[in-house]
Amino acid sequence: MKQKPWEKVVLFLLALALTLFLSQSVGAASKPIVIGGSLPLTGKFAETAKWIEKGMKFWAEETNAKGGLLGRKVVFKIYDDESNAGKAVTFAEKAITVDKVDLLFGGYPGTAARAVMPVAEKHKYVYVSMGGHMKSFLQGYTYSFGGPPLMGEWWYEGFYEWLKSLPAQKRPKRAAVYTMNNPIGTSLTDSIGRISRDLGVKLVINEKYNLPLPDATPLIVKAKQMNTDILFSNGFFADGVMTIRAAKALNYNPKAIVQGVGSVIPAWVKELGKDGDYVFSGTSLHNKLNYPGNDKLNAYVKKKYGLPGYPVYFGFGYCWMQTLSQGVEGAGSLDQTKIRDWLKSHTVHTIAGPMSFNEKGLPKPINFCTQVINGQVELIWPIEVRTADPVYPRPAWK
Amino acid sequence: MNLTLVFQSMFSGIMMGSVFALLGIGFSLVWGVMKVINISHAAFGLLAAFMSYTLLNVWGIDPILSIAVSVPLLFLAACVIYRFLIAPLTKARDIIVPSMILTFGIAIILENLMLLIWSPDPRLLTTAYTSKVVILGPFYFQYPRIAGFLLACAGVVVIHMFLKKTYTGKAVRAAWQQRDAAQLYGVNLRWISMITFGLAVSSAAAGGVGMALLYSFEPHTHNLWLIYLFLVVIVGGVGSVLGAALAGLTIGIITGLSMAFLPYQWVNLLTFALLMIILIFRPQGLFQSEV
Amino acid sequence: MPSWPRSSLFAGAMIVLLALAIFPWLGAPVYFVSLLFTVFMYVCLATSWNLIGGYAGYLSFGHVAFFGIGAYTTALLVKGFHLSALETILSSVPAGFVAMLVALLVGYPCLRLRGPYFAVVTLCFAFVMDLLIKNLNFLGGPEGLWLKSMDLPIQTVRAILFEAMLGVTALSIAVAYWTDRSKFGAGLRAIREDEEVAQTMAINAPKLKMQAFALSAFFPGMAGGIYAYYLTYIHTDVVFDMMISILIVLMALFGGGGTLLGPIIGAVLLTLINEGLSTFVKAELARIIYGSLFVGVIIFLPNGIMEFFRRTQGESPH
Repeated sequence: MKQKPWEKVVLFLLALALTLFLSQSVGAASKPIVIGGSLPLTGKFAETAKWIEKGMKFWAEETNAKGGLLGRKVVFKIYDDESNAGKAVTFAEKAITVDKVDLLFGGYPGTAARAVMPVAEKHKYVYVSMGGHMKSFLQGYTYSFGGPPLMGEWWYEGFYEWLKSLPAQKRPKRAAVYTMNNPIGTSLTDSIGRISRDLGVKLVINEKYNLPLPDATPLIVKAKQMNTDILFSNGFFADGVMTIRAAKALNYNPKAIVQGVGSVIPAWVKELGKDGDYVFSGTSLHNKLNYPGNDKLNAYVKKKYGLPGYPVYFGFGYCWMQTLSQGVEGAGSLDQTKIRDWLKSHTVHTIAGPMSFNEKGLPKPINFCTQVINGQVELIWPIEVRTADPVYPRPAWK
Repeated sequence: MNLTLVFQSMFSGIMMGSVFALLGIGFSLVWGVMKVINISHAAFGLLAAFMSYTLLNVWGIDPILSIAVSVPLLFLAACVIYRFLIAPLTKARDIIVPSMILTFGIAIILENLMLLIWSPDPRLLTTAYTSKVVILGPFYFQYPRIAGFLLACAGVVVIHMFLKKTYTGKAVRAAWQQRDAAQLYGVNLRWISMITFGLAVSSAAAGGVGMALLYSFEPHTHNLWLIYLFLVVIVGGVGSVLGAALAGLTIGIITGLSMAFLPYQWVNLLTFALLMIILIFRPQGLFQSEV
Repeated sequence: MPSWPRSSLFAGAMIVLLALAIFPWLGAPVYFVSLLFTVFMYVCLATSWNLIGGYAGYLSFGHVAFFGIGAYTTALLVKGFHLSALETILSSVPAGFVAMLVALLVGYPCLRLRGPYFAVVTLCFAFVMDLLIKNLNFLGGPEGLWLKSMDLPIQTVRAILFEAMLGVTALSIAVAYWTDRSKFGAGLRAIREDEEVAQTMAINAPKLKMQAFALSAFFPGMAGGIYAYYLTYIHTDVVFDMMISILIVLMALFGGGGTLLGPIIGAVLLTLINEGLSTFVKAELARIIYGSLFVGVIIFLPNGIMEFFRRTQGESPH
C-alpha cells in the first residue's frame, strides 16, 4: 500500500472534520436563556471544575422543571479553558460577544477568576463567582459578586471564633504554619495573624513553600522538635496529604491540625480515610447547614453519586447560579446593570444562607469552622449550626 | 546544628530521589540509545499508577505486586507504539525533534484517556503498611518510602544486569556506543530499539508505582513528573543507568539538605539553579556516562 | 521557497498587513479581535523562537521566560511610573530590551551547551525565573500584579492592543525574513548542520548564537509587555507557564523549523484548531483529538508541515 503523502494528509483532515461535525451538538429549544463561560474541565483544576459543572447543571435541571427563569428555559454553554487563565479570558469574550449569552457564569480557579473579573467589568456583565480572594475584590469592579466567595482571608474565621470560645489555658500555645506560596496560601495566612495576635498563639514556625512540595518529612520533624502544639497546613490536596501522612508516620501529635483548602474536596475523606480525621478547616457553605435547599441537594448527590452530602464545589456551582438567578428575577429582566443594581440593594436567599452585597460585591464575612470526624465533615462553629462536638485535643495517632 | 533534622531530611530525600531515578532510567536509556526524547514516559508511569490503584481497591492487590501486571502490559503497548509510530520517524532529518512532538501528542492522549477512565479526582495508594514506620534511634523510616527505595534498587540492578549480562542487553550497549559497528556485527537495530523502548516504558511502570507510593496523583500529574525525569537524566548523563541512579540520590540529598538548612520557599529554586550550574560546568553529567 | 521579485513580495505583505490592521475597526465581535490577538502572539513567539531554535538548531525550552520577563517589566514600569495608556503600550519596547539583556546574560554560559543540554538548561532557567518572582514580594510575589485597563470602550481597547501586537508580530516576521536570506541566517544554518565545520569556515559561532538568542528574546519580551496590558492581571502561573514554552517549540517545529513560513503556519494552525476543538468537542475528547494531531502529522511529515510543500515542489525539476 503506497499512498502519496498528501493523500494521507487529506484523509486525516477529512477524519478530523468528520469528528468535529459529529460531535457538534444539535437542536435548540425555543429561545432559552443562554448562560455561558468557561470552566477548567481538563488540566490542573479539572477536579474542582467538574463538581462546579455538576452543581450548575443541577440548578438548571431544577429551574427548568419549575418552568425556567423569567418563563424561559435555561441552557449552559460551557467551554473548557484547560486550566489556562488566558483561554478563560478569550472564552469569556467569546460567550459575551459571539454567543451573545444572556448571562455569564463564574468559574474557578483563583488566577482565572482574577483575569476574568476585569473582562466582565469592561463588558458590563454580572459575574458571580468565587472570585480571586480579597485582593481581587479591591480592584474597584462593580459587576463582580462573590456569591458566596471562596475567601482565603475568611477561611479560618470560624476556627478563630471557636478557639476564642475555649478557656485560655486550653488553647494551643505554639503554632507551626506551613503555607504554599500562591494567592490562596497567602490569603489564608491573614486570619492566622489574628489568631496569633488576639489569642496569644505564638507562631514558632511560619514558612512558605513552593509547589510542588517535594517532601513533607522535614516540615514535620521541625514542627515536632519545636514542640508546636498546633499545625496549620495551608495547602492543596497533594501537599496537604503528604503533610498529614508525614505527621502520622513521625508520630507528631499536636492538639489540633488545621488544613487549608485541600481538605474540602471529597477525595480527602475518600482517599485518606481515618488519617484525614480531626482536621479543622473552614468553608463558606456546607451541606449540613439548615438553609432551605441543602436537603434537596444532598438527596440528589446521594442518589446520583453515592455521596453522603454534596461536595463544597458542587454547592458553589449551584449557589452562584442561585444568586445570579435571584438577581435576574428581582430585576425582572436580563439587563446586566439592572441585575447588578438589584443584587447590590437586595438580599438573596441561598443554600449558604441570606446574603446582601456591599459595594465591593461581597457579602458579610461568612465562615463556618469544620472538622472531619469519623469521615464526615461536621460543622463546629458558630454554635447555632453545630452538627457535632469538636474533637479537641485530637487523639494521638494509632 | 540540628543533626536529627539534617539526617532525617537526607534519608527521606534519598529514598525519594531513588524513586525519581527509577522513573528516569528508561527515559535516559531511550534518549541515549535511540535518540528519542519520550515526553510520554511519565504519562506511562502514571498509567501504571492508576492501574495499581484499581487493582488495589478492587481486588486488594498490593501495588508492588501489581507491577507484575502493568509491566508486561506496558511492554506490549510500547512495542506496538514503537513499531507503528516511532520506527517511521527514523527517516527524519534528526529524530530527537519529531520524537518529542510525537510523544508529546501521545502524552496528551494518555492524560485525557486517564481523565475519562479515572476522572480528575486525586488518588492515593493506601495499603496496610502506608503509615508503618521503622524507628532507628531518633530516625523514622516510613514503609512506603522503604518500599519505593527497594523497588528502585531492584529496578536499577535488573536493568543494569540486563545490559551487562544478556546478549540482547550487550547488543543494546553496542548499538549505543557504536551504531555502525554494531550493525556490521549483525545487530538488528530495529529489534534492539524495540526491546529498549519496551524495557524503558515498562521501567516507567515500576517508577510510576514508586511515585504513587510517595505522592498523590491525578491525570495531569505526569507533567510534574516529567520535570523530575529531565533532572535525573541531565545530572546523571544521558543514557547512563548507574548515572541516573546516582543522580536520583544526588537530587534527593540536595533537596533533603536544602530543606534542612534553607527556608522552604527557596528549596525548589535552589534545586533548579544548582541544576543549571551543573549543566553549565559538567554538561556530560556529574557521573561520566557509561552504560 | 518560491522566489518572487522582492517588490511584489513586499507589496503583498503590505496588503495583508493593512487588511489585518483594518479588521478590528470593522465591528466584528470583540472575541475575534482577541482570538487574532492570541494568534499573532503565538506567531510572534514561534517566529522569534525559530531564530535560535529553528535556524541555529538550539532548542530553547525556556522561551516563556522572556515572555514573562517582558510582562513583568511592563507591569513594574506601569506601577513604578504611573504610565498613561500610550506609555504603557510603548513600555513594551524597554520590556523587549530587558528580555534581551537577560538573554545575553543567560546565553553567555548556556549557549556553550549543545542539543538536549541546552534544552534542559533553558527549561531550568524558566523555572528559576518563575520561582524567583514568586519569592520576591516587591515583584508582586505570589499574589501577582494588577494593571488598570484603558478608560475606553472594550472594542477600542482590544483594537488598540491588537494593533500593537500586530506591529510586534510583523516586525518579528520582518526580522525573520531578513535572517532567512542574509549571511547571518546562513551562518546559523551552518551552525545547525555542524558547528565544528562552521567554525572552520570562519563563522564566529559563539557570536552568531548570542546574536540570534538575544534577538529571539527581544520580541517575546515585547509581546509579553503587550499581553500584560491585555490581561491586566499578571501572575507567574500565567506568564511563566511551562506549557507556553512547550507550545512555542511545538508550533515552530510542527510547521517546520528553520523556515520562514513554518512557525507562522504552525502557530496559526495549532491555535485555531485548538480553539475550534474547545468550541465544538467535549473537553477530554477535544484534547485527545489535539494530541492525535501531533502524532498524525509527525508520522507523515517528521520535519513539519513545510516539508509537504517542499516535497511537492521537489517533484518538479529545478
